[in-house]
Amino acid sequence: MVNRKLAKVSTFRYKILATVFIVLAGGLVLLPKHEKHEGIKPELLLANLISTERYISTDILADKIINNDPSFILIDVRNEESYSNFTIGDALNIPLEKFLDEVSINYLDQNQYDIIFISNDNFYAEQAWMLGSRLGFKNLHVLEGGINKWFNTIINPKKPTETMPEEQFVLYSNRKAASMFFGVAYPEQFKPAKKDKAIVKTKQPAPPKKVIKVKKKKKAPAEGGC
Amino acid sequence: MGPLLPNGIIPTEWDSLIAILIGLVFGFILESSGFSSSRKLAGVFYGYDFAVLKVFFTAALVALIGMYYMDYLGYMDLAQLYVHPTYLWGAIIGGIIMGVGFVSAGFCPGTSLCALAIGKIDAFAYVGGALIGIFIFSELFTLFQPLYDGTFLGNVTLMDTFDINPYWFVFIFTLIAILIFVISDLIRKRTKKQVYN
Repeated sequence: MVNRKLAKVSTFRYKILATVFIVLAGGLVLLPKHEKHEGIKPELLLANLISTERYISTDILADKIINNDPSFILIDVRNEESYSNFTIGDALNIPLEKFLDEVSINYLDQNQYDIIFISNDNFYAEQAWMLGSRLGFKNLHVLEGGINKWFNTIINPKKPTETMPEEQFVLYSNRKAASMFFGVAYPEQFKPAKKDKAIVKTKQPAPPKKVIKVKKKKKAPAEGGC
Repeated sequence: MGPLLPNGIIPTEWDSLIAILIGLVFGFILESSGFSSSRKLAGVFYGYDFAVLKVFFTAALVALIGMYYMDYLGYMDLAQLYVHPTYLWGAIIGGIIMGVGFVSAGFCPGTSLCALAIGKIDAFAYVGGALIGIFIFSELFTLFQPLYDGTFLGNVTLMDTFDINPYWFVFIFTLIAILIFVISDLIRKRTKKQVYN
């Protein structure tokens, strides 16, 4: 009985399959549509936002500039006035209000260079990063602490106190060397020349004292006789 | 969630292994469905066997409807799928050459390798001819290059070119497919039955 029924159904199998296809395809047309999210997914944006990988420290940036690293573009997102007063290296100026201009997008939407956003602190650079990431631009970074930190660490590094660990001294000497590269002059840069002269001067008038050994007369043993 | 590879759910290192596994299964199913017989494949053109047409059309339909449902339900992002670039005239002329080869030899490139694996002599001749063709094409590539790189339309789909709603496209495509199945059945009933292995 069952087999007969099955056989009966199976004669219609192609019709059944065709109906299934039409119903499924028709379902796609009739289902209510929802607005699709454009750009990168919110989950991915959130993951990128939480991650600190986008930050580049001032030390790394200084190292890149000094070594003429060709793989990155610095983009200053402050207004033109602040940019003309001071900027780091040969940064390009794309103020936030011009971020979506066609010329700016040509610089930002590419896959060749690392882009490092800079502003006075993280604030505007982060906004630029957020906008760019939302639009799906790649290789975007933010200079951690911005130009303020650049001043405090690279241009005017703080001298470590004596009780600090050795790494701090190494870091300080690196930062000091970097600051010299960026044109900071230190008083001790000139000292060695002075010191030499001073030594020579002091040496000439006062030659080492000659020590003239004066032989002391030995006391004559007390003579006596018995 | 999907596609699995671009979203890193399956690491990209598995690419080749997955390709080999899918290839093995595909080849096995082709062979076990009788698609390594050039008579069965050529039947589409002579009207005595439409299995090839039905199988590939059904596969396309299942994949198309399935992917649009997965996209709708949020399991897969269709925008992330790879769309093969279109070089219009290259595709048209290549298609004609492929069609002529298919009618005259009774194989398409995939099924020819399948038939080669089970030792069919005509498949050996077909694959040998294909290799000679590849050699000639490579040697004379500079001659064919304008056609090969010309009329580039980008990574477009029919929906982009004709600017139609994809869901309506799927529906109309389904209706056309079923209509073709019905017509092909009518043709098969009218032609003389062939017996072959």
